[in-house]
Amino acid sequence: MNHSVDRARTSQISDRNRRGFLQDLGLGFGSVALASLLQRDQIASADFTVIAPRAKNVIWLFMIGGASHLETFDPKPALNQFAGKTIDETPHGNVLKSPFLENERVVAFDPNNGFIRNEIYPTQVEFRPRGQSGIEMSDWFPHLGTCADDMCVIRSMWTEDSNHGAQLQFHTGRHRVDGFFPTIGSWATYGLGSLNDNLPQFVVLGTPVADCCGGMECHRANYLGPQFDGVPLDIDSETPLPYAAPPVGVYREEQSGEFELLRQLNQMTAQQFPNDESLRARVRSYELAFRMQTAVPGVVRVEDETQATHRMYGLDQPETKTFGRQMLTARRLVEQGVRFVQVYHGSNGGAGQWDSHAGLKDSHSKLCRQTDQPIAALLQDLKQRGLLAETLVVWATEFGRTPGAQSSNGRDHHPYGFSVWMAGGGIRGGITHGATDELGFHAVENRHYVTDIHATVLHQLGLDPRKLAVEGRRRLEKDFGQVIREILA
Amino acid sequence: MSRSILLLAVSIFCTSTVRADVDYETDIKPLFEEKCAACHGVLKQEAGLRLDAGSLVRQGGDQGSVLEVDDPASSVLIERVTTTDLGQRMPPDGEGTPLTDAQVQLVMNWIRQGATSPVDEVIIASPAQHWAYQPPVKPSLPSGDSLAGSQNPIDSLLRAKWDAMELVPTPIADPLTLLRRIHLDVTGLPPTLADQNRFLSDASSESWNAIVVGLLDDPAYGEKWARHWMDVWRYSDWDGYKQEVRGSQRHIWHWRDWIVESLNSDKGYDQMAREMLAADEIAPDDMDGLRATGFLVRNYHTSNRDIWLDATVEHTAKAFFGMTIACARCHDHKYDPIAQRDYYAMRAIFEPHRVRTERLPGEANLQLRGLPRAYDADLDVATYLYRRGNEKDQDKEHPIAPGVPDIISVAFDVEPIALTNQAAHPFLRDYIEAEEIARAESELAAAKQRLEKASDPRNAQARQSVVVAEFRLKSLELRWAATKAKIEGRSTASQLAIDAAGTERSSKYQAALLDVLQKRASLEEAKTSTESDEAKKKALVQTREKELAGAERTLVDSSVETLTTDDHFSPLGESYPNTSSGRRLAFAQWITHRDNPLTARVAVNHIWLRYFGEPLVENVFDFGLRSRRPLHHDLLDWLAVELMENDWSMKHLHRLILTSHAYRQSTSSDGISAADRLKNETIDPDNKWLWRGNVRRLDAEIVRDSVLAIGGSLDRTMGGEDIDFVEGETTPRRSLYFRHAYEKQMPMLVIFDAANPTDCYRRSESIIPQQALALANSPLSRDQSRQLAKRLSDEAVDDADFIELAFRTALGRPVRPDESSACMSFLGGQPKLLESLDSLELIDGTAKTLVPASEDPAQRARESLIHVLLNHNDFVTLR
Repeated sequence: MNHSVDRARTSQISDRNRRGFLQDLGLGFGSVALASLLQRDQIASADFTVIAPRAKNVIWLFMIGGASHLETFDPKPALNQFAGKTIDETPHGNVLKSPFLENERVVAFDPNNGFIRNEIYPTQVEFRPRGQSGIEMSDWFPHLGTCADDMCVIRSMWTEDSNHGAQLQFHTGRHRVDGFFPTIGSWATYGLGSLNDNLPQFVVLGTPVADCCGGMECHRANYLGPQFDGVPLDIDSETPLPYAAPPVGVYREEQSGEFELLRQLNQMTAQQFPNDESLRARVRSYELAFRMQTAVPGVVRVEDETQATHRMYGLDQPETKTFGRQMLTARRLVEQGVRFVQVYHGSNGGAGQWDSHAGLKDSHSKLCRQTDQPIAALLQDLKQRGLLAETLVVWATEFGRTPGAQSSNGRDHHPYGFSVWMAGGGIRGGITHGATDELGFHAVENRHYVTDIHATVLHQLGLDPRKLAVEGRRRLEKDFGQVIREILA
Repeated sequence: MSRSILLLAVSIFCTSTVRADVDYETDIKPLFEEKCAACHGVLKQEAGLRLDAGSLVRQGGDQGSVLEVDDPASSVLIERVTTTDLGQRMPPDGEGTPLTDAQVQLVMNWIRQGATSPVDEVIIASPAQHWAYQPPVKPSLPSGDSLAGSQNPIDSLLRAKWDAMELVPTPIADPLTLLRRIHLDVTGLPPTLADQNRFLSDASSESWNAIVVGLLDDPAYGEKWARHWMDVWRYSDWDGYKQEVRGSQRHIWHWRDWIVESLNSDKGYDQMAREMLAADEIAPDDMDGLRATGFLVRNYHTSNRDIWLDATVEHTAKAFFGMTIACARCHDHKYDPIAQRDYYAMRAIFEPHRVRTERLPGEANLQLRGLPRAYDADLDVATYLYRRGNEKDQDKEHPIAPGVPDIISVAFDVEPIALTNQAAHPFLRDYIEAEEIARAESELAAAKQRLEKASDPRNAQARQSVVVAEFRLKSLELRWAATKAKIEGRSTASQLAIDAAGTERSSKYQAALLDVLQKRASLEEAKTSTESDEAKKKALVQTREKELAGAERTLVDSSVETLTTDDHFSPLGESYPNTSSGRRLAFAQWITHRDNPLTARVAVNHIWLRYFGEPLVENVFDFGLRSRRPLHHDLLDWLAVELMENDWSMKHLHRLILTSHAYRQSTSSDGISAADRLKNETIDPDNKWLWRGNVRRLDAEIVRDSVLAIGGSLDRTMGGEDIDFVEGETTPRRSLYFRHAYEKQMPMLVIFDAANPTDCYRRSESIIPQQALALANSPLSRDQSRQLAKRLSDEAVDDADFIELAFRTALGRPVRPDESSACMSFLGGQPKLLESLDSLELIDGTAKTLVPASEDPAQRARESLIHVLLNHNDFVTLR
């Protein structure tokens, strides 16, 4: 509550202070901008222990609706072997007695979804080893397979919510009913600050999570304050950032004249009140805003890229065009120093397209096709530009899907075991970590709750999650998570 | 006092992170409080050791001294916080994070310097001695002339400290600064030019006092201050997925209107609190009063009762008496004298209550209109303690009775409350019967009209429709008569019930008959249809046959039903218990009891915060043991008692504050000598002693409302249904009337730190580029600039005059010469630029304005000038 990095503070008068201020005003602000200045204050005051960072930026890909681990990154031959049998009829019936089942927290009972399904449903796609490392991935990821040696697949995730509130939970670490909390992207930017003062530091691409499942709270900062909220960019629009352009009919030169007068007038007021730090910060915020107006449209202008790059990301094909453009933009954003780019895939205004209760084969194969080539292109492109080493790419989803069938050709929600992967940013490539049981039911080896991913991301950025706290806002043990040290390069 | 001066002076000159000199008050005490006090403090003394006061640290524990001044590193204290043995390390694993190296260094330095602490450090022997648990008592006011002849007790109390500290307060701010400050603080709207001229012509104290009274009488006061209290009371419009309500309730805006009205009529703060918690028990039939229970309704949570009640307990305690009782949900409170049982005892107060929506005149559909309110639904429901807060592990052996923490020694007596018939049977409200009968009558009239217009007067369906409508009306009338007779205990009740039941059965029979006639006709229609696809036609005929068979079965059943003679008829509406537990009223009376030491202090602190930018008690929702005795304890207590002694009149408190010198002080220290300024800054750089005013930023709503007000567009209509937040740029109503809930928030307000609907006891004041973009680029500020420019151009004789008027209107202050010349040169140069628009680069904007830019380059430049002023730092700033 008392936290406000920029609540108007006053300081003692000193000649140096006054001189420095007037110089600032006279010189404009060059490379020194508000956000990062405030950030530096913040770091000093919060005393974060900074570990040597391995990554500078994060690209966080989130598949909305619950991508099946059993058809993507966690091959389970037993499902084909026992197809049609009930779980009890297999030698693995004990999964239904596991204490892990108690981790599920049902609060909003849904009579249709969110059940353990008993009749084993065979995997809907072949798996094969990829790359030198031989990580097995499904045939729906032919392009991504070529990047296997850069990827670390984590096959032992679990979460609590068996409904789509798990989307929120994946970003805040808290169950939907516990309320709203700062998200991983906001913590990262809160801890680190900006590398480019002309762009927002935490950018959101793609259509966000729907209000059923956490909505904008999946990329907001809650009590950290609006300066750490993820800023959605509508990259297909003329005005990708809200209020980033004046209304119709304003001229560039006209606006420049206005900004110049504003600068002069504020400077005069500043001379009158040399100790008013909030005035100083506000003047800078206008400088930054003015630059953002041109920087943001510039950074999303993928037309600047070569035809070869467009093809690489699949911008030339209808299926991959949308997500490809987002991936390409994500690369351009981190290249420009944006700290955290969160990309949503699969919005349908509700639970999400990945939510395949029926027709899983059709929907998942299509969704994989939409994302496979663009994601592979992103990893390859980052690598060839030497950016992968310092950019951590995370692919995640809110939960996996049941080994048993729902409505004959789909799978239900499955919070007990599922997969995510990471690449770049100091993560060991070409490995898998953790495992589910024979049926892909429970994470049984190296189990990880969602905040372990957060802890690992923050650790790679050089932050100690335990230092990220705000006075008066208690964080629970589970909020911090554990760094997954086994996967660090 | 001289000691603190010295310490403050020291702290200014030593700014490196690890200093040689350590200040106990600022470096050591807070650290021990955070890391150690839960187990080594007034509440618990593990190992007989207390670390919550310097002398107690020096005293040591059962094992003797914990300090070695000659060799700090070998102190037990240092050993225990630095050891790598997790079984030994303090704070214990899981109870707190270990001290950082820098913190350890600080403690060592403090020990090395002799582990000194102020001799007058307050040590309490038991939690009950905590300052906030003592009843507030009015301090005797210092004698002698207060500042500038002010008799205001606020000034007398502050003046005594300034004198003792040798601080020189800043003088009263200039009239226009003051006028803008008070207008925006009290009504949230800027002063007009006329207001300014009036005050400039007479800036006397009498004139000021008249302004204070006038503004507090302005209904805009209620709107502005309602928003503050809506923050504290967690106002939220309904949230939900599509049409399903998940949190709060539809139509909760009634509660918002009740807050506005209550503030404007200066209803006592105590009475407001009582009504919000228990209006249904105080005046069960008072529909206006019931709106107050929106405070409880707001906590409604569709999927989980625990979350619902947890929020109710947590936030009622935080909002009204500054207690963080939610910490005791899983275990005894670590810092305050609150047992886990106390948490559940408070939960038991709310356990019986639920929410429902009352039908209001004119609309039967509760989705469209209605009054959400709280009521006790289940008087027998038990409350159990959740072991370790786990809802799956309840202590069912020991039901917990409603109760309040012992630390506040005020009686809590629960008396069940008998409710009125109307409260138990809300459908008895006159208008409901009248509306229902009227509806049945109009259905009958419509049926008769259809029969008259029917081509064939023997049309069986039309005739039967009339019969059905007649029966329905009759049945309704009889059900009403029977129901009222029963509730009122009249002797005719049983016969009326038999009649009503019989008529209802006949009515159903007639309706079934009509249905058969209709189904027959549609079957006939299917059979004779011109559908060429035989299969389709056959399927349709089959469907219709099935439907007819069903209708015929219903007809047979209902005709058999008519043979029965019992008195069961369907109820006219939902009925509820005719008794309320009285728990909430008892609780509300406990909260607002004159001897409750917390309530008035918490209220006063909230009001003070909104005028001075800083509260008197730092953490506005936690007055527990971690809340240090405030610097202005005397002032807090004086105001708290004054509030209670004056029937909890908030307007009285506002008047006191607004007429004080303290409120009117200049924020700038220009009015005092350079030497005094330096001394002030040295002694009290953070202005904790209030020797000057604090510069503040306007709240989100006030930023938006001011833009509209200045442009002359603000629609001052008060109250009513929440407006869709997407209309924020186009509907010129005050901001508090727009929907504000999870996923339903106006972006412009969010950007300026609008209240988080789930929890906002105090707003933050961020400064971010998105705020600049919003004011610079929103159509709203563009439109209002153009409108104001036009208005001022009609008045101004020339550019200089225009500039003066523009500054006065937009910023509420005169233009300074340097500003005027900058603006003059802008108005000279900009039109030249705008003369040849074709040669300029049009920005790719998409948002549309409502007011077009002027065609005249000179006027367009003036519009730009106004727009610049709406973006000026001083527009969003209160000096």
